[in-house]
Amino acid sequence: MSERSVSYADAVVSVAKAEGNLDLVADELFRVARAIEGSDELRMTLSDRQIPAALRQQIVEDLLGGQAADITTAMVSMIVAAGRSSDIAGIARETVELNARERGYSVAEVRTAVALSDEQTQRLATALSAATGHQVDVKVIVDPSVMGGVVATIGDEVIDGSVRHRLSQLRDSL
Amino acid sequence: MSRRLWVVAGVLVGTIAFSASAAGAVGETVGSCIFEELEEAQFDGIEGEGLSAVKNLKDRYKAGDEHAEEIKTDFEADLEDCIEAPNPILPEVTEIIWGGAAFVVLLALMRWKLFPVVKNLMEQRTQRIQDSIDDADRTRAEAMEVKASYEAELLDAKTEAARIVDEARQQAGVVRADLQARAEADIAEMRERAAADVEASKRQAIADLQTEVSDIALGAAEAVLAHNLENPEVQRQLIDDYINSVGAGQLGQQG
Repeated sequence: MSERSVSYADAVVSVAKAEGNLDLVADELFRVARAIEGSDELRMTLSDRQIPAALRQQIVEDLLGGQAADITTAMVSMIVAAGRSSDIAGIARETVELNARERGYSVAEVRTAVALSDEQTQRLATALSAATGHQVDVKVIVDPSVMGGVVATIGDEVIDGSVRHRLSQLRDSL
Repeated sequence: MSRRLWVVAGVLVGTIAFSASAAGAVGETVGSCIFEELEEAQFDGIEGEGLSAVKNLKDRYKAGDEHAEEIKTDFEADLEDCIEAPNPILPEVTEIIWGGAAFVVLLALMRWKLFPVVKNLMEQRTQRIQDSIDDADRTRAEAMEVKASYEAELLDAKTEAARIVDEARQQAGVVRADLQARAEADIAEMRERAAADVEASKRQAIADLQTEVSDIALGAAEAVLAHNLENPEVQRQLIDDYINSVGAGQLGQQG
């Protein structure tokens, strides 16, 4: 994590706390970052310095308007206008970490091939909390490369129960 | 030498004296011989004596008497005997006497003056020859010493050459052994390398084959899995199994 991303995350957290909806902003920023990371076209457009910053901000507002909180839209617009859209994933991850740390939680980045239901997310958070010994805030990322199952990353710890991992083990054993 | 010389001289004088006495007994001139033959001539069947007998013989010979012819032939042979040449060996007695005396005088003079000079010359010559022989012996001795020195040096040189050759042979042997050892080591290394290459190739082939087999197997498994994972119920079941395993502490954590 770069020093710059940490600074931006601190700014986002400060603004969100001032507005009183840090949990929502952190969660929405994480989702937006995942969406930008998952779309090459969008990522390249928002990172293109040939495009005026105002136009890139307008794109962000058009995409998020009405679907995210205003403060979240403003934070993303600010990051894009600053020309740091390529760092938005790291900023979002650090924001989530800071938010969880504020509440005494750890962030579990969970990758699955399909989206989890709320009930599955809740059960998974409970199971990971029991496995790690402290409260866990689950952030789900849909990643088809997982093929099936779940890969949970908590800090430096990885609990891999994915089909991809099992196939890799099978390949190694063969 | 002096005694031998006197003996030779005595023998020579004696011989000359004996010859002179014998020649004196038988020696006569041709004229006196012919005169004596004419004076004493007397022939069988021919009258007269001396010159008259010779005249009668001549007449009868001219008359064609054969007997006279035979007598004439004999008488001519007797006359021819008188005109034979004097003895080439025996000279006249007086000549022998004077010659012998001269010889003795000459011998005495030579014995008195010449022989000491000749003896002195001979002794000098003998001394020179002896000196030459001594010089030759000394030179020969020196030459022998030089030769011995050369032979010793030659022997040393031969010994040194033999030693050098022996050392060179030993060094050549060492070099040959070293080269042979290196060659054998290289050959062994090449064999080991070739064997290692063969082994590595074999292992690589086996690994490639295993990879190929595993890829095929995994491909088949992935195809089956992909087909099964399209079922949402399967996905849900996998997630639930994961949640249950994590909750039960059955899934390990990886750093």
